[in-house]
Amino acid sequence: MTSARVLVVDDEPQIRRVMRATLVAKGYMVSTARNGEEALDKVREERFDLVLLDINMPGMGGMETCRIIRSQSDIPIVILSIRNAEKEKVEALDAGADDYVTKPFSMPELLARIRAALRRAPNTSAGTADLLNLGPTEINFAARRVTVAGEEVRLTPKEFDLLRYFASNPDVAIPHTKLLQAVWGPDYGEEVEYLRVFINQLRKKIEPDPSHPAFLLTEPWVGYRLNLPKE
Amino acid sequence: MTGLIAQRVKVPRILGALGIVGGITLFYYRIFTVNNVTVALSYLLAVLAVSTGWGVIEGLVASVASMLCFNFFFIPPIGTFTIADPQNWVALFAFVVTAVIASHLSASARKQAQESSQRQHEMEQLYTLSRNLLLLEVHGPLAQETANLIAKAFDVQGVAFYDRTSDRVHRAGPHDIPVDAAKLRDTALQATVFHDSATRTTVIPISLGGQPIGSLAIQGSQVSDTALHAIGNLTAITLERAHSQDVATRAEAAKQSEELKSTMLDALAHEFKTPLTPIKAAVTSMLTDTDMSPAHQELLRIIDEETDRLNLMLTEAIQMSRIEAGQLQLHRSAQSMSKIVNAQLEKLGESLDDRKITVDVPEKLPRVSVDPEFIGIVIWQLLSNALRYTPPGSPITIRAVAEETELIVSVEDVGPGISEKEQRKIFEKFYRGKDQREIIPGTGMGLTIAREIVRAHHGRIWVESEPGKGARFSFSVPRTQRES
Repeated sequence: MTSARVLVVDDEPQIRRVMRATLVAKGYMVSTARNGEEALDKVREERFDLVLLDINMPGMGGMETCRIIRSQSDIPIVILSIRNAEKEKVEALDAGADDYVTKPFSMPELLARIRAALRRAPNTSAGTADLLNLGPTEINFAARRVTVAGEEVRLTPKEFDLLRYFASNPDVAIPHTKLLQAVWGPDYGEEVEYLRVFINQLRKKIEPDPSHPAFLLTEPWVGYRLNLPKE
Repeated sequence: MTGLIAQRVKVPRILGALGIVGGITLFYYRIFTVNNVTVALSYLLAVLAVSTGWGVIEGLVASVASMLCFNFFFIPPIGTFTIADPQNWVALFAFVVTAVIASHLSASARKQAQESSQRQHEMEQLYTLSRNLLLLEVHGPLAQETANLIAKAFDVQGVAFYDRTSDRVHRAGPHDIPVDAAKLRDTALQATVFHDSATRTTVIPISLGGQPIGSLAIQGSQVSDTALHAIGNLTAITLERAHSQDVATRAEAAKQSEELKSTMLDALAHEFKTPLTPIKAAVTSMLTDTDMSPAHQELLRIIDEETDRLNLMLTEAIQMSRIEAGQLQLHRSAQSMSKIVNAQLEKLGESLDDRKITVDVPEKLPRVSVDPEFIGIVIWQLLSNALRYTPPGSPITIRAVAEETELIVSVEDVGPGISEKEQRKIFEKFYRGKDQREIIPGTGMGLTIAREIVRAHHGRIWVESEPGKGARFSFSVPRTQRES
């Protein structure tokens, strides 16, 4: 059923082995890299649908690798790390990761996260226009393109899905849990810091003044709201 | 030897005094004849001059000689020592009194001048000493250096300095001072000054703030008592400075070694987690295979559970090492306790399955400014302790109430309870309940971690329990006045 191509980046050979065995059994096509440099080479040579990226590696670490991959592509990146402090999760998400899994993880959980990262929100949803204008920002949902004052802006798939979910539910406060489940998947709901990071990134890309957002508004204690400009 | 020198100095002066008296006699007897009053006044002047200039002995010699000459050469009957007229007794008395008073006055003036110049010299020496003591490198052989500096500054024959902290005697100066360690030790303890005039040695105690810290012996000096005490005080201050620096250095070293230990523990725990990752991944992956025999599934579950246990221990070791290294950085924000509690209940998941869990944490409770991650750890610790230390199937209640100034969260079980003696120890690091040690797995760090986290939030954590009647663990966090 799936034949997504997954790149596993980890300096630990045993982790690469177990990931390869499991993911191949689940029908994924698996490539491995031992460090950041090798991962960047592979990403340049081949097309992948997902990168599983270890943070703590000799040479170029996961954070830097994540940043470089993100600057070149919108491929989903799931971070695997032993550290579980919120600070590090936020740093990874800021570097462009889509999700963060703490080691040691259970395989069913990781597989669910991989599915969530690969999942694209359905392209057409009732009541959503193909085009949305937010001041100087124009969003073309059909073509997955965003321009600000005529200049194209690159959104990651998760950022784009988040924006589309807002567009289909404009002018209402959407709770954190609902947003997380709609965009990441049903297993999510507690990862409020994900939203904080992604909303900030979206604001930087589409808001004229990101520190005083006009469209993506915070609803204290509840969640977020898309404020459509009044005609 | 000094007596001989004094004599040698005095003989020419006495001869000089006699010469002056002889000169006056010769002058008035042979050359210039005047009346007796003038002669007597001249003798008086001579006695005054001699006793002022040279001292009392010379003055007395001059006065006796003057009286004799005056009597023999000028007072009738001339040529005899007979004193016919009582007036001449008055003359003799005047000569003697003048000699004594004048010499005494001038001697005391001289002595005062000498003393004040000695004081000034001592002040200079003390100043030099205190400056040099201040410049001393405190990490060097301080006590010995202090003794050397004293010997040098006061130019004494010998100095012995006894430092009570190290129980050692440090000697300095050209001569070995004839005072043994026992004498120095006694002086330090008894806090009395000892003076031996035969060897010209003084031993003074040195104390600071009433505490004896040593003693100091000085030989062959003309150092005044005042100066001696000043030296004692300077030495005390110098030693104290060194000791307090030493204590500070040791505390710093202890802190650094604690930090190093924590860093090591942290690194080690991370190293152990690396091989755990593929084990966990592999075993959970195999467990998804439903075709496996029940026996194999059970075995795999055991591996899985033990992997989790090992992982938990490592996680606690990492948390503990962070806390001990003082790296507990809270990221506080206004939080709903109900949300934090629910998140932890969700995390415990299946292990709660056979329990009746009563949750009384109203959503309406005021928000508190806490770090949700760390307060979550506290709640998780209390809940998982309740799960581990109580019989399967027994109920657990988690409750939160808002008091006037704080929010109190408690976890209550109906387990075996904790004796009063153990209640005092369970928050200590690595302490495990006496009865549980061998039966129930744990690291003995959980409650210590919880306590440190609560403390960092300026809250309290405590336990109420009676053996056989369950236990209630509670913690509080202060309520914020107005959340921003």
